[in-house]
Amino acid sequence: MRDGINIAKLNIPAVALVTEEFWPQGDFVSVSLGMPEIPRVKLPHPVAGSGTENMRMIAKSVATQVIASLDTNA
Amino acid sequence: MRDLLTAKSEEDALEDLHRKGLTDGLPVVVPTPSRVDRMALASGNDPDMVIGAMGPGNGVATIEKIAVAAVMAGCVPDHMPVVLAAVKAVINPVFDLTEMQATTHCTAPLIIVNGPARFSCGPISSGYGALGPGHRANASIGRALRLAMINIGGGRPGSSDMALLGHPGKFTYCLAENEEESPFEPLHTSFGFERDESIVTVMGGEAPHSVLFGADGDDPKSYKGLLDILAIGLTNPATNNAILTGGSALIILNPEHAAVLADAGLNRTTISEELHTRCLHTEKDIKRLVPAFSSNREGNRNAFTGPEQILIMMAGGSGLYSMAIPTWSAGAHKNSPSCEKIETDFFCEIPDKKID
Repeated sequence: MRDGINIAKLNIPAVALVTEEFWPQGDFVSVSLGMPEIPRVKLPHPVAGSGTENMRMIAKSVATQVIASLDTNA
Repeated sequence: MRDLLTAKSEEDALEDLHRKGLTDGLPVVVPTPSRVDRMALASGNDPDMVIGAMGPGNGVATIEKIAVAAVMAGCVPDHMPVVLAAVKAVINPVFDLTEMQATTHCTAPLIIVNGPARFSCGPISSGYGALGPGHRANASIGRALRLAMINIGGGRPGSSDMALLGHPGKFTYCLAENEEESPFEPLHTSFGFERDESIVTVMGGEAPHSVLFGADGDDPKSYKGLLDILAIGLTNPATNNAILTGGSALIILNPEHAAVLADAGLNRTTISEELHTRCLHTEKDIKRLVPAFSSNREGNRNAFTGPEQILIMMAGGSGLYSMAIPTWSAGAHKNSPSCEKIETDFFCEIPDKKID
């Protein structure tokens, strides 16, 4: 979340990928860093350690949203 | 400008603070203006003096806000210089406070106090049960830092503090070094401070891990066994230290274990050096035990980049147990220990120390 905001502050289009468990933390961080509208895409939780095949499936399911967010952001 | 809450009674005020998420879950001393004023006065600084921003919420830590935390924690004005130094220490960028507050790891700031302030700002215990209940200054000072991290820094469980479980040291985690009985120079001298300076060292620590060792007085090489077992305590392969590497860790030697090492001719520096050579695992073992963090490298992985990352201090009662405190070992600066001078010269004596 913080990385996404820091990148966006450099005027580089960014979208934060945040798992559903960490979504409330994302709310907090985005407000505290003054960028509550930072584009975010919600992922299922957990992603880490869930296996390559599962991660590919998640990536495929959110790819369109990620690209759309970046387009909007640009 | 103060934004004051009002309540009909002390009991109502306490419940209101709980409801608003402004406590650590335990009862607090209600921070009335007069109590906060007295605490701020003890710092010898203006109440609106800005110390810095505390992450992850980027709240601005002023003397007054820190005084609020100190009052709520049950501190007396004598404790305030140590609380203030501890807050300054965690604000130092090397401590990675924002990331440390937000991590899923259990890390908590351990406050270590050296120098004359152990007495003038306490007494801060370094003896039996120093990390347990029964020592007012230890309990209150550590708790004040936590309340500052909650109410100024905004670290709240499940929404901004994502520690999966945390540990009891997140309520309070503070002790002094027993400099008078230690055979070694005190901890703060290893950071370049003079022995008679009062210094707070804050490190982000796991809960203390007990290390059992009984010396054999007939065996002059018995000390090697103590070094071996301390190194295992520091870098068991379940710790971040062993796997992520590059973070610091602390050994709290009890007086008997300190004597074993001192009798073997070791000092603080050489103990760290000896431990450093022992704090390693083979890449093969890491691949077997923690494959997600393994690499294709061969050889050994040392938990520490150098012996200076292994802090040594002496505290506690006499007996079989020392403590190893591994750390989170992450963040831009690896959540490095941070030292801050305790400004007792600025301390303002409060004529009536009784809290109203």
